[in-house]
Amino acid sequence: MPTTIRAEGLARSWGERRIFSGISLFGERGVIGVAGENGSGKTTLLKILALLLRPDSGSVRVETDGRELSGDSRRRAVGWAGPDLAFYDELSAAENLTFFRTAGGLPAPAADIRDRLARVGLAPAAGRGVGAFSTGMKQRLRMAFATLFDAPILLLDEPMIGLDAEGRAVVSRTIEERRATGPVLLASNDPRDFERADQVIVLPPPAP
Amino acid sequence: MSVAGSSSFLARAWSVCAKDAAVELRRRVASASVLFFAAACLTLVSFAIGPFGVPPDARETVCSALLWVVLFFSAATGLPRAFVREEESGTATALRLVSPAAPILAGKTLFNFFLFIAIALVTAPAFALLLGWRIAAPWAMCGVLLLAGFGLSVVSTFLSALVARASHKSVLFVLISFPIVAPLLLSAIAATVAASRGDVPWTAMRVLVAYDGAAACGAYLLASAAWDE
Repeated sequence: MPTTIRAEGLARSWGERRIFSGISLFGERGVIGVAGENGSGKTTLLKILALLLRPDSGSVRVETDGRELSGDSRRRAVGWAGPDLAFYDELSAAENLTFFRTAGGLPAPAADIRDRLARVGLAPAAGRGVGAFSTGMKQRLRMAFATLFDAPILLLDEPMIGLDAEGRAVVSRTIEERRATGPVLLASNDPRDFERADQVIVLPPPAP
Repeated sequence: MSVAGSSSFLARAWSVCAKDAAVELRRRVASASVLFFAAACLTLVSFAIGPFGVPPDARETVCSALLWVVLFFSAATGLPRAFVREEESGTATALRLVSPAAPILAGKTLFNFFLFIAIALVTAPAFALLLGWRIAAPWAMCGVLLLAGFGLSVVSTFLSALVARASHKSVLFVLISFPIVAPLLLSAIAATVAASRGDVPWTAMRVLVAYDGAAACGAYLLASAAWDE
């Protein structure tokens, strides 16, 4: 059975301002688009699903074979990439991925890390310091990070930002590979990103 | 915790420590500021007091207190950066995604401990030399530096995680840390006085061991509350 993600009745506010409420979703396979105006809470929703933020109310469950995952198995089941995901500028791309995989409790053989960087088109820059990377190269590295543990669930927040045609192809290929085995939640402001989505959740406009 | 669990914990903690060391070796921000602060303090103290500025009967007490003032404030310029840097650079998000809080805290504590030892290795001999201060039991002194340095590293790292997302980090860190480290510093000063007289300060060292144990247990149990949202 695939790994699934289920959210029920999610609500979140920033201070006095309600961002969203009553959001429920279920993902088993395929692409789920998350659309909405700026400030409608797309990033907040994906962060709640990744356990980076707590909802004010509601719950998120990640399950395999009907068993709820927790701890490391929960962390490794969900890959996340977003614009505010940063890396260590002083380390190379390969060193960053190696560190995050070992800090995640898994071995990081050099060949595996090279392969992961090659898949996002960063093989020639593997040994270069991330501080010298362009916006597009950092975005590719975020994709490599999101798939670092081969998570069955992918949460991608604006994954096409700053990418050239080749970079967009890398993201599209990753999404196509993963949609058959698990859910891919894709938040974007660009309707073209949802062309191949199986369903689209539109968040209501933010309260004034 | 199982054997596999504890080995995974140690491997994770070590990877965080090694990463912090690699970043520090390439940036040299914390080590440079800490060593500069220590050098400035040493210069001021040695010019102001010098080898003959303290009466012989008060020598051990004054020199011990001054040494720990220099060590504490030198450490306070570098050790609290452990988690603050992760929040400021945005790398905290990636860390939270891959690991629970406890191994990260342990790794950063280890790195801060090594940093403190480096500070002490430079500062303590230079301090003794400039003030003409002879420590009669140097091995006991090493034990005191290790025990007090570990306690200081644990508390500084934990408080760094606690204040990392606060708006007035530096002020908050000093306000919270002073009452918590005061017993540690007082015991360290008492132990240093005894070591400089040639005694082995068993009582003060037992207090330091108890402090270290309590601080490490508290930090481990509260790591998630301090670091996670």
